[in-house]
Amino acid sequence: MRLEVRVFSGLEKYIPGARFGRSIEVERPEGITVAELVDSLGIPRSQVFTVLVNGRHAAMDAVLQPGDRVSLFPPVGGG
Amino acid sequence: MKELTWEQQKRYQRNILLPGVGIEGQKKLLRGGVLVVGAGGLGSPVAYYLAAAGVGRLGLVDADVVDLSNLQRQILHRTGDIGRPKVESARDKLVALNPDVQVEVFPERLSAASAVSLIERYDIVVDCTDNFATRFLLNETCLRLGKPFIYGGVLAFAGQVMTVMPGAGPCLRCIFPHEPDPHVPGCAELGVLGAVPGVIGTIQATEAIKYLLGLGDLLVGRLLTYDALSMTFYEVSIDRDSGCPACS
Ligand SMILES: [Zn+2]
Repeated sequence: MRLEVRVFSGLEKYIPGARFGRSIEVERPEGITVAELVDSLGIPRSQVFTVLVNGRHAAMDAVLQPGDRVSLFPPVGGG
Repeated sequence: MKELTWEQQKRYQRNILLPGVGIEGQKKLLRGGVLVVGAGGLGSPVAYYLAAAGVGRLGLVDADVVDLSNLQRQILHRTGDIGRPKVESARDKLVALNPDVQVEVFPERLSAASAVSLIERYDIVVDCTDNFATRFLLNETCLRLGKPFIYGGVLAFAGQVMTVMPGAGPCLRCIFPHEPDPHVPGCAELGVLGAVPGVIGTIQATEAIKYLLGLGDLLVGRLLTYDALSMTFYEVSIDRDSGCPACS
């Protein structure tokens, strides 16, 4: 299935050619979870603070559906 | 409220000229009260722009003293302020900028015990803190009191901002339900470009002023993200999470 992934705020560095907020089309097997997607992208899970799927918070064990828009953020917590 | 003096009409002339502001809008700002939590990288532009705009009452909360390593981004403070409480250093600059503004300082860490009594005295809260524990406390207290709250955060070359309006749209914990792993590096390890909190804080100040004036559309349900390297803004639409630990 196809997924639309966006990475933000420094997570770009883990994916060659990725740019901030720019969508990346990936092909993954049906039934894959958020955590498995993160692993397959080569991003350490500890660096992912929050995951939004179609604009809603998703847990790491959530199962993804075809066409899902997945956004990954580190903690942007400085002030 | 009494009429604007001749000096006030002149000071705020560029505000008053704006459509939807006028003398009445300026009076709203002068009657307004904003609590700024954190007097550092975000709090500096927030407090400066709110004071310059003539927001009548500014509360500043920060327990820290000025450190040499702050001055690369925390433009409220100067070299001669090193070692002084940040809220006092900040008050000097803000009162010098605009004597109309009443600056109330709280040289303390926001705690569960103090949050309610502090926040209920203001119209809106601007989050200029550097940690999620304090943000969650602000989020939950503002939800309880029905006060709007403007989240801002920065890291390295990136920043993000969102306005939480209780009863309308998601809260902070709809997006970030848990505190980050303490081992994940922050600005102290990764650095932060000084102008990045300048950009994000300026947006937070703009949101607070719009709220006081009742103008325009706020960043409710819209996480606005910013990347200085590619010079890109990207807006992520956020829905309320029905499993949110704070607002559901
Ligand atoms: Zn919520």
